This record gives sequence, structure tokens and C-alpha cells, in this order.
Amino acid sequence: MPSKVIVSKLIQDIISWNIRSSTELVERTFETLETLTKKSASINDLVLNTTHVISEVIKVRPTSAMLINCSRDILAVLNKVVGERLKLDESKTAILNKLMELRQKITDDIERIATIGANRIVSGDKIMTSAYSRTVMKIFEKALEQNKKFEVYITESRPGDDGKIVASELGKLGLKVTLILDSAMRYFMKYVTKVFLGAEAVAANGAVISKVGSSLMALIAHEARVRVFIAASTLKFNYETVFGELVKIPHAPEETILPKEVKQKIGELVKTEIPILDVIPPEYVDAIITEYGVIAPQAIPLLMRDVLRAWPLQATDVYVVIDRILKAINNG
Amino acid sequence: MVKIKCPIEVLQIANDIKTMKIRGAGRIARAAAKALKIAAEKYEGPDDVEVFIAYIDHAAKILLETRPTAVSLPNAIMYVITRLRRKRPINMAEAKALVAKLSNEFIKYSLTATEEIGIIGSRRILSGDVVLTHCNSTAALSVIIHAHKQGKDIKVYATETRPKFQGHITVRTLLSEGIDVTLIPDSAVRYIMKKVNKVIVGADTVAANGAVVNKIGTSNIALAAHEARVRVFVAAETYKFSPATVIGELVEIEERDPREIVDEKYLKENPNVTVRNPAFDITPPEYIDAIITEEGLIPPQAAYLILIEKFGWIIQDYFISKYPSRGEDEE
Repeated sequence: MPSKVIVSKLIQDIISWNIRSSTELVERTFETLETLTKKSASINDLVLNTTHVISEVIKVRPTSAMLINCSRDILAVLNKVVGERLKLDESKTAILNKLMELRQKITDDIERIATIGANRIVSGDKIMTSAYSRTVMKIFEKALEQNKKFEVYITESRPGDDGKIVASELGKLGLKVTLILDSAMRYFMKYVTKVFLGAEAVAANGAVISKVGSSLMALIAHEARVRVFIAASTLKFNYETVFGELVKIPHAPEETILPKEVKQKIGELVKTEIPILDVIPPEYVDAIITEYGVIAPQAIPLLMRDVLRAWPLQATDVYVVIDRILKAINNG
Repeated sequence: MVKIKCPIEVLQIANDIKTMKIRGAGRIARAAAKALKIAAEKYEGPDDVEVFIAYIDHAAKILLETRPTAVSLPNAIMYVITRLRRKRPINMAEAKALVAKLSNEFIKYSLTATEEIGIIGSRRILSGDVVLTHCNSTAALSVIIHAHKQGKDIKVYATETRPKFQGHITVRTLLSEGIDVTLIPDSAVRYIMKKVNKVIVGADTVAANGAVVNKIGTSNIALAAHEARVRVFVAAETYKFSPATVIGELVEIEERDPREIVDEKYLKENPNVTVRNPAFDITPPEYIDAIITEEGLIPPQAAYLILIEKFGWIIQDYFISKYPSRGEDEE
């Protein structure tokens, strides 16, 4: 398969919501990078392939902090490859090692977050969640292994109906699951003891970007005095927001909620607005569960400093780095 | 006292309501009112007003038993019955004419209510307003359409309204009026709220404290609107107000078939997954800015006023039937 086709297939899967969790999004990007790295016939090829994948994926999911943070690390390796004029196989190994290292970190993080998160679950809990979060599901799995008796309410999570898949997967683990409509969140919140949600990104002010409907759930939980926990590795911290960058929310294509034949029936002039993510303000988040432990959303900048071991933070725009690398290679 | 048999035409209407041949809150209410009129016209008992009233009560009871949960039905019947008792007609001719008059009055009131709600509500809509609506409410759409016809420039967001997508009907209706409408998923109501400046929804039932029972998801929207300081209007004909709630009755929430959400195959393959599908939720009065009725715009907390004005004697009857001793004390 030519490189362009491999990349456009990945992009298509992202847009059409075949990739539901943001961790999976990163893993699929890694797979693509790995394939293309192995295929690259020259340094030039390697640089073009890598930067192409990164810039295309970020273009369609600019909100994924894990994607951006991992990309920054990969680009740093690429920068070194170009700057130090490494040989092709050395360069390939450097990139592949970086990918392996990041993949390992993601797996370890999920494991640690799951352990910490499971500690927060007690027998008798009724937990509400929404959308497809690999980390949240792992938390439930861990708590189940500890023989805790709890049940989960999951919303259908339109667009994409992720909830149906999550309910099915959790059910197969032997968990008691109740699938409800997104509209029924407030109706059921009075029976719920805790809310667990995953994240696409965590901003510097502690705001959490997650699948659309999450912010509604957090608001409703807040009203009902139900605690809201966010499971997010520090790879999901959005360092750019420290500099006041706003996060732009991507939208899903119309067909995800309105099939063509239905549109014809109700009127071609109908418009749709289908955000795939929304923002939970920090005041509705009780705690963020990271691989470093449970912290208050307001303490995020502190943890950011500890993770990067620097203050003020430095987070160069990925596209700026890409430009720099491409210029270097053209001049070289 | 002699029991006079209920005419066949009345039994037929009762049966049609029961089998859902007649459905929709408004249509059920009007059919019941009409049935009482027919009962009065077909009365063949002795020339005794007391007997006549007992006979009408009997017909009312048959009609009431058809659909125990729909609030519009008892309200239509009680509208006629309580006024009949209150007036204390002196002879049979007056009694019969009174039932016919009350029945016609109710039918007319029900038919014109949505229109009047539209006119009253539209005054609250300004050019440039962005309105969010949920499900498919004739009364709520009446408000939007009236405002549009007055030349006001309005943009509407309509939720798709899972599981049955009534939002699609709303979209079709508004598009046919030439109104700018955007469909959104139910999960996006908080996201969209910052672009919205008014919420208009309908009601299935309004309780005595002003709480509104409506399509599931309404209370999500009302809370999100409240958070964003967006005004919430409920468009509801007065026959949607529930007298039974005055005596503390709870409004029962119907849970519907899970197969409206997932298919049979999914249920079979996932025995550990329960699918719950409540059809309605309850929006507390503190999240509602006003209820638009055909009698005017009221704060939800004034629901009691509508109930007493429209259904005062019904409420007293409920007390008597629930607490006979209290009723006797008052006599």
C-alpha cells in the first residue's frame, strides 16, 4: 500500500469515528508511523513521511493532547536525525525506539491510573460514565478484580453510539451495566454515587476536554452533589493552554446523526451541528486521576511543572517544529 | 338510585381511547368531552336532575378508566362534571343544555389553546433570537411559528430526541415554514447553550408545584439553560395541569421498550446489559422561567392558580374520594 493511502485511511477512520478512544487514536498513529518508517528509503523519505502523518492527524484532531505531546517527542528525535546527519538505519531505529518507549509509557500510565482509580471505587457504588475511554474501562476492570460489587450506568453517547460498545464490553467482564439515553442522564443521576470520565485533553486551568455530553454529565453530577473523577495521564495535559491557546472543537460529519435518506425526508435545508467534544469547566471536576496520583484540577499547572521539570513551561507549536525540520532538510 | 345505562356511542368512544384508536393529549380530551355531550343528549331516564347527574358521573367514570395516566382525559371530563355540579341546574332541560354547552366550550378551548399560546408566547421572542427546542411539541412550535410569521428573524436548534427522533418532525415542520433550523445530538445541549438565548419546550403534565413532566432530556436542557442564564419557557395548554398532584399524587414515569434503543440481537448477546428507557423526566420549577398557557404567561410556582381556577372542584372531589372523612367535615 502506498504511504499516501495508508495515511488517508487513518484520517478517514478518525473522521468517521471508527477510532473512539483518544488512546487508540495515538496507537493507530504510532502504527502508521512505524509502517512508514520501515518503508522509508531515504532520510528525506523518513522526514517527509513522519511529518506528513503527524501534521495530517493533528489537523483532524487538534484537541488530542496526547497526540500532540507524543508528536513533539517524535519530532525531537527527527530533529536530531536531521541535525546530526544520522545514517538511515540509525535514524529508523531512533524513531522506532521512541515509538516503543512512548507506547510503553502509555500502557504503564493506564495501568497506574487504573490502580489508583480502582481504589476510589467501593462496594455499592453506582457509577455513571459516557463514551469510550480505555482508561476508565481499565479502572472498572481493576475494581472488579478486587471483588468490589458495583454497577455502571453508561450513556448511549451520540454521535457514534460508543455507549452500546462500552456496555457490551463491560458486560462481558461480568459487570452489571445499564445502558441509558444521553437524555436520561439527569433522570438517573439521583441513583448514582460517582461519575468517571476519560479525557481528550486537560487544560492548564484544569478544564477537561472530553467526548461531547461529558460536560453535561459533569454539570448534572455537580447539581446532584455526585463526585466527578477524570482519568487522564499527564500525556493528555495540554501545555499550549498555559500560553492562553484556545482549544478548537472538531465536528463530526452530518451522516453520523443524519443519514442521507432521512435528510431527504425531513428537508434538504436542514443544517446540523455535531461537536465531537466539549469542555468540562474545572469547578465541576472533583479530581483528576493521573499516573502521579489524584490531584485537584486547579493544581494542574503544578503537576505540569513537575512533569516537564521546567517553569515557565516551554511548548513549541508542533507545526513550527515541522517547518524547522523541513527547512533544515531542504537546506541540507 | 336507578342506574341508567350508558349509550353505545359513549362506550364506543371509550373503547377507541382505550385501544389508542384515538390518541394525542388534545384529541383524547376532546373525544371525552364530546362523549359526555352525547351521553346528555341520549339521556332517557326519569325527569330528576339528581339522577341525571349520577348518570353523567357514571359515563364519566367509564371514560376515566380508559387511560388512567393521561392527564388531559380527566381534565376534560372534570371540566364538564364539576361545572355541572357547581351550577346546580334546576330542571332537566337546563341540565342537558349545560352539559352540551360545557362540552362545546371545552372542545373550543382545547382547539384554540395552542393558537393562543402561540400568540402569547411569540411576544416573548425577539428578532435575532436563537431558540433551542426538544422533541416535537405543537404548542412550542406554535410559539416559534407565530414569531416567525410576525417577521422576526429566528434561528432554531432542534435536538434529535432519541430514541424515536421526534426532532426530525420538528425540523420538517419548521423548514416547511421557512425557518432556519439546525439539528443537534441530545448530548450536545450544554455545548450549544452558549449560542442559545431562549429554550422553548412543551409539557406532558404540569404538577401542582410547577414541576414539568416532559420528554426525557427536557430536564438536562433546563439545567444547562439555567447554568447559562438562558430563559426556559414551557408551552402548555391548561388541560395539561394535573389536579391529582394537588393532593400529593405522584406522576408516574412510563418506562418503554428497550428495543427502541437497541435491537433484539443486542439484548440477546449482552445478558449483563440492562437497557432502561424512561420516556419522561421531571424539570423542577426553579429551572423554568415561565409557563405559557392560553390563559397567559405564569411563573411555574403559580401552577396552583391555574389548577384552582380551572379545576378547583375537581381537586375538592379528589380530596373527598381520597379522604372521605375530611369531605364529610366540610359538607
